[in-house]
Amino acid sequence: MAPKLPPHHSLQHSSTTATAGGQVHDDHDHHPQPRGIMRWLLTTNHKEIGSLYLIFSLIMFFIGGIFALVVRAELFQPGLNLINPEFFNQMTTMHGLIMVFAAVMPAFTGLANWMIPLQIGAPDMALPRLNNFSFWLLPVAFTLLLSTLLMPGGGPNFGWTFYAPLSTTYAPPSTTFFILSLHIAGVSSILGAINIVATILNMRAPGMRMMDMPLFVWTWLITAFLLIAVMPVLAGVITMMLMDINFGTSFFDAAGGGDPVLFQHLFWFFGHPEVYIMILPAFGIVSAIIPTFARKRLFGYASMVYATASIAVLSFLVWAHHMFVVGLPLAATLFFMYTTMLIAVPTGVKVFNWITTLFRGSITFEVPMLFALAFVVLFTIGGFSGLMLAIAPADFQYHDTYFVVAHFHYVLVPGAVFSIMAAVYYWLPKWTGHYPSEILGKWHFWLSVIGVNLTFFPMHFSGLAGMPRRIPDYALQFADFNLVSSLGAFLFGFSQLIFVWVIIKCVRGGVKAPAKAWDGAEDLEWSVPSPAPLHTFETPPDFKPVQH
Amino acid sequence: MRKMLALMTGGGTLFGGASLAHANGWNMPVGVTDLSAEIYTLHMTIFWICVVIGIVVFGVMFYSLFKFRRSKGAKSAHFHENTTVEVIWTAVPLLILVGMAVPATATLQKMYDASDAELDVMITGQQWRWRYEYLGEDVAFNSNMSTPRAQITGEEERGEHYLLEVDEPLVLPINRKVRFLLTADDVIHSWWVPDFAVKQDTIPGFINENWVRINEPGIYRGQCAELCGMDHGFMPIVVHAMEEDEFDQWLVERKEAAEAEAMGVDREWEMDELMERGEQVYGSICASCHQADGGGSPPAFPGLAGNQELIDDVDWHIDVVLNGVSGTAMPAFRSNLNPVELAAVVTYSRNAWGNDTGDAVQPAEIVELLE
Amino acid sequence: MWGVIKSVLAAFFGVQKERQRRHDFEHGKPGAFILVGLLMAVVFVVVIAALAIYVAG
Repeated sequence: MAPKLPPHHSLQHSSTTATAGGQVHDDHDHHPQPRGIMRWLLTTNHKEIGSLYLIFSLIMFFIGGIFALVVRAELFQPGLNLINPEFFNQMTTMHGLIMVFAAVMPAFTGLANWMIPLQIGAPDMALPRLNNFSFWLLPVAFTLLLSTLLMPGGGPNFGWTFYAPLSTTYAPPSTTFFILSLHIAGVSSILGAINIVATILNMRAPGMRMMDMPLFVWTWLITAFLLIAVMPVLAGVITMMLMDINFGTSFFDAAGGGDPVLFQHLFWFFGHPEVYIMILPAFGIVSAIIPTFARKRLFGYASMVYATASIAVLSFLVWAHHMFVVGLPLAATLFFMYTTMLIAVPTGVKVFNWITTLFRGSITFEVPMLFALAFVVLFTIGGFSGLMLAIAPADFQYHDTYFVVAHFHYVLVPGAVFSIMAAVYYWLPKWTGHYPSEILGKWHFWLSVIGVNLTFFPMHFSGLAGMPRRIPDYALQFADFNLVSSLGAFLFGFSQLIFVWVIIKCVRGGVKAPAKAWDGAEDLEWSVPSPAPLHTFETPPDFKPVQH
Repeated sequence: MRKMLALMTGGGTLFGGASLAHANGWNMPVGVTDLSAEIYTLHMTIFWICVVIGIVVFGVMFYSLFKFRRSKGAKSAHFHENTTVEVIWTAVPLLILVGMAVPATATLQKMYDASDAELDVMITGQQWRWRYEYLGEDVAFNSNMSTPRAQITGEEERGEHYLLEVDEPLVLPINRKVRFLLTADDVIHSWWVPDFAVKQDTIPGFINENWVRINEPGIYRGQCAELCGMDHGFMPIVVHAMEEDEFDQWLVERKEAAEAEAMGVDREWEMDELMERGEQVYGSICASCHQADGGGSPPAFPGLAGNQELIDDVDWHIDVVLNGVSGTAMPAFRSNLNPVELAAVVTYSRNAWGNDTGDAVQPAEIVELLE
Repeated sequence: MWGVIKSVLAAFFGVQKERQRRHDFEHGKPGAFILVGLLMAVVFVVVIAALAIYVAG
């Protein structure tokens, strides 16, 4: 295994000394480094690119969050109070698109960039220049997407699922730009995924077998395969839209012999694996944090790997459960109901494993642990509502109501987003060399937990009581639930400013962190100094497999 | 289970007072069909299963968090992996799921059996109204939201059925199996009445099937469930379920009215008659986009008041109403409205809001154009 | 061959004895497991589809 290093990483440091642990001390780096903006534009370093991804995703998290708050402000009371229905639709659509494609996905890619090489003892990603390119595609894609809001006719207004023909024949003129921006974001994701697969398969420290890899690496490996499998399907479906809009084809236009339902099959064949793309790395993060703060090995490492793989395979077999009311034949409805119910089994296995890891541990409650524990509880609640949605006859009632909105926000906000926050608190000492503030972190945590539940729990009730999704105004019986949801949303939204404060404070100073910042942490990243120097593991570490 | 259901709905009636439909405002309605009650039971069953699993799982979790805190001196044990435990926690959920799949499958089979219906109703979703057609009965009408704009903007106090009221409800008989055939003219909509547990997408170019047999007379309300553009939130569904003989009588009256209207095609209509009828049609069909005062909301929806193109060219005006304008939101109304309604609405918009062209378009002219 | 099928089945179920897993990883050929895994995935889909079609009548 001879990892190819990018030119300026070559092992020519005259005064570089590598310790046995693979730590590298860069006392005098004589290489001329581009400075200022050029340094960031041209960087091929996995840590710098990881930071770029994370900062980008944080900015987008706030932009998507502002859109959500516009929606919640309009829904605070019955009536059309602040914005018109047309703009409301643009806000719900952009909120979904930005949060999925520009906030959650890049955040996980950023964590992968930073942590995968550190966790497998590699000096960098396998393809550093490609890595730079994958990142810089993102600001281009999303600047383009956001600019559609200023175009005549407004931005995308057809929901983040952009069902045809609302998104083709009946769409605003800016839709072509929307398609281009998704193409660019898709290319970025595919390239990122290829890089991650190449890194994990080729650049592990000598002696590290697949079944020795930390679970974050495992879950990301499987996620990367999912990305490579389904992003081309998304690219295909949006290209068909492009043709329908601009070149007179009729893929999705019934009047020309096309099929609007075909759009949904293609979209969800991408879309369902996509939701697992947003949750599998979260499983990896939680599987790292819980053993650390319970000071006890993960109960079932192998079964965690198996469960991740099962979820990935099943994710290709369940797509039409998003389409139970489009008029599928009975046999198809039954097939997708059965496969969907089966997903509960490996997901349950994961939750049971985390809890058995806690059992008879020696538990402390630092901020990363708090977020990870909240993840376990609230993600499981989202899993329960998912199980309810799997029951096809009942889904005829739940479908396209706020019950569904509650469900996927439970798995994505206190699920995916909390896991990202847990990861940030967990690895900040490694990134900055300082511990994040415990007091501020706890304020951030508790306000977020309260905010999230105030926002999304009442949505179960408004959905069951009959409130459809994506409406700018509602009947009076839903008023109380919406009032609470809106208050919760503003609480959650503004608490995130504390998060930014914590990060800035931590970058600028704080309690110094040693190499092994958490006493229960085991993986390789804790063998390099904190903050991790720009170049690590230029000499492969001496890896001793723990008996997983 | 039946007894329990009766008890629960009974309780609902006690507290809610009025209809069973919205007996409680925070759970799925039991509804007024056998199937909706069955679905409610499935929903509550899976809900309680989740609650029990939740209590066990979170119970163990919070016990561990409390008991094994380092601050209380807990030392971590070193066990991991236990094949027996893992087999149990995989097999038990699997069995629960199979137990859940069996009744769910049985219910689905019933939901999919739309055979032997006694009445067929065609439901067409349009931006942003519903069209109902009683197949084989020559009765068809549009159903628009009737909540006044002033209530939405808050200038007027909101009524009890704010956003859930229409000008003409769908009328159905109780105790008869009614089959719905659902389609759409433009984008995908979804026809949903929670009390029937019927939700079905209406898809342009496709005809979906669903059915209902209502057990109790009453007024049932629902909404479009699939995002269909700007006024997605403003296309409610109201169903008026009647006793069977009452329904039969209603249907006969509607048929007679439709025939009378068809007769009216051949005679000469007075300006006043056309204006009166036209205002009514305009209010229910056109005003949602072009506004009641004819001002429109440009650029998407041009104003009609003082519109020179419209005032100058009556043939163009009729053509637009009949055939729509491709590439815009203006749909073709040739098959949605009858000749009298078409003539009346054109006449109305040529003479209202100071347009004053004096043109009275006769139904007979429209009939000629439609052929 | 039977051993490979048994191990793949165990992986589908998600539980495997640590001793057997170690044995498979040290002595088995990865290609055989991947091939059998893919075949079994197809079989899995066919079985559920057959069940659904049968139940739907």
